[in-house]
Amino acid sequence: MPAQRTFGMDHPHHEWSPLISRPALRWPNGAAVALCVVIPLEHMEWQAPEGSFQVARLAGGSAPRDFPDYARLSHREYGHRVGIFRLLDVLEKHGVRATIALDAMTAENYPYLVRHCLDRGCEIIAHGISVSRMISSNMSEAEERQYIQASLDAFRSATGTQPRGWFGPEYGESDRTPELLAEAGLTYVCDWANDEQPYPMTTGENPFFALPLMYELDDVVSISHKLMPVFEYEKMLGESFDVMREDGADTGRLMAINWHPWLVGQPFRIGSVDRALSHMMSQGGVWSATGSEIIDWYQQQSN
Amino acid sequence: MALPPDRIDYLPITDRPVIKWPNDARVALWISPNVEHYEYHPVNEGVRNPWPRTPYPDVQQFSYRDYGNRIGFWRMLEPLDKHGIRCCISLNLAVLEHFPEIAEAMMERDYDYMSHGIYNTRFLYTYTEDEEREFYRDCIETLKRHTGKPLKGMLGPAISGTVSTPDLMAEAGLIYHTDWFHDDQPTPIKVNAGKLISVPYSIELNDSSVLRDNHYSAAYFADICKAQFDQLYEEGAESGRVMCIALHPFIIGQPHRVKYLDDILAYIMAHDGVWQTTADEIADYYIENYYDEAMAHAQRLAEASGR
Repeated sequence: MPAQRTFGMDHPHHEWSPLISRPALRWPNGAAVALCVVIPLEHMEWQAPEGSFQVARLAGGSAPRDFPDYARLSHREYGHRVGIFRLLDVLEKHGVRATIALDAMTAENYPYLVRHCLDRGCEIIAHGISVSRMISSNMSEAEERQYIQASLDAFRSATGTQPRGWFGPEYGESDRTPELLAEAGLTYVCDWANDEQPYPMTTGENPFFALPLMYELDDVVSISHKLMPVFEYEKMLGESFDVMREDGADTGRLMAINWHPWLVGQPFRIGSVDRALSHMMSQGGVWSATGSEIIDWYQQQSN
Repeated sequence: MALPPDRIDYLPITDRPVIKWPNDARVALWISPNVEHYEYHPVNEGVRNPWPRTPYPDVQQFSYRDYGNRIGFWRMLEPLDKHGIRCCISLNLAVLEHFPEIAEAMMERDYDYMSHGIYNTRFLYTYTEDEEREFYRDCIETLKRHTGKPLKGMLGPAISGTVSTPDLMAEAGLIYHTDWFHDDQPTPIKVNAGKLISVPYSIELNDSSVLRDNHYSAAYFADICKAQFDQLYEEGAESGRVMCIALHPFIIGQPHRVKYLDDILAYIMAHDGVWQTTADEIADYYIENYYDEAMAHAQRLAEASGR
């Protein structure tokens, strides 16, 4: 629906709430910044089923190529075979526990990887079916419910647990997604990139929250799409952190970063992640936490 | 999950046979200049337009690439020779017929060659299986006739292929395919008959993607090549890694860029534990020593996963 020219948001999912109108948010031990690293493990299909929707600039591979595009598929697969382990090693070195966003096709076909992430103590959240099938308003409500259920079913049978968080492939949503996710028993969603604090979503009976990601810090956005040199990306991470740490003295900030293992997990990029985390974690005033830990704390503070 | 269509079994880098390169090298380094010819007036087969900017000919884009053969190639040889690099050329085989001085310069240096098709403006997408069989026969015969060398591998022309490409390559007797970017080590590619592996080429450390498509500076290219080497060199102490730098004479051979190639090679070649080699040699060595073990291990992993 086009916007009506009245107060507040032009959709029902959350209230209009500028930072200045909120009470101060305090993180554990007076930390200024909560750092959350989200790592999508997403599968790209050889040929997505007819009718499935992909964004026009789905990253990976060489310049746009025709079928069969071995380059794009295998470039993405690098994350599952090599990059993820390199990235988790660096996170572990800095005491950062990852929040893994696991899609259904990875859950079903990469049991080694699922077990590895569980053994390392990562939180695992649901991430749709595959990166080549995102949620969009092209889906009917029934199709979308089915999509969410299929994703959750694969998740449960691979991990033996119920996810608390959801991150849609390519941040994909229809105009009813938050309600359907809350109804499916989820607690938070990472699709919304509009804040530096968690916030409640208005989804009905069950409390449901947004855990906003920093759009420009997403490696696909800055490195793959905007072609930022990795050393500048590293600098941007450090400078963002410094400002958020300063601002976080007044009211705590959430720095949630989306890192793709096939991209920042490449040998020549991983050093930048290492140095950026070293900069952040060595200064004090930062609480590194998983999505659920952050949402639980936030919910407890808001009560 | 195998990379489709059931070609490459999942093998995490954390759980696979350890690779030891000759002389305990940590990194197998291969340098792959793409020596190409793009046709002045190609045929548009309707899948990908070789010259999308104008009706043919596109003299600007044609001659920019031809500059590589007339000027850039010769300039690129200077740092390569200075550091004693034996290249594995990604070769449009028609270059051997069009430009004998280039053929001679490569043969004098005892380079190895993988096929990069006949011309960079003739893609595999539309080939029938029989046409693709004839294509391999042509590539093998042309290389043998001009250089005396057997053809062992291929980077698809302009990185194009068909669903059958790996099967037909193996059938023709080729042993490696470099269109796959899933790993820092060679890995088996499953084919109907014979043995085929992937040798890691690079779309990340590639002057075409970094300098031409994505407009980074040559200084940045040098920095990321060094960073890549440092990381792989560290990891290679445990199990050998492959590093490829892919070049194009019309790009790296520009006057303002060539010094950065010298810079990259000087940095890497100052290290011990570098096996400066070719994809031909990496493929032979891997198949001889690790192919069977890797296949058996992937099978065990798949069975342990209940599939």
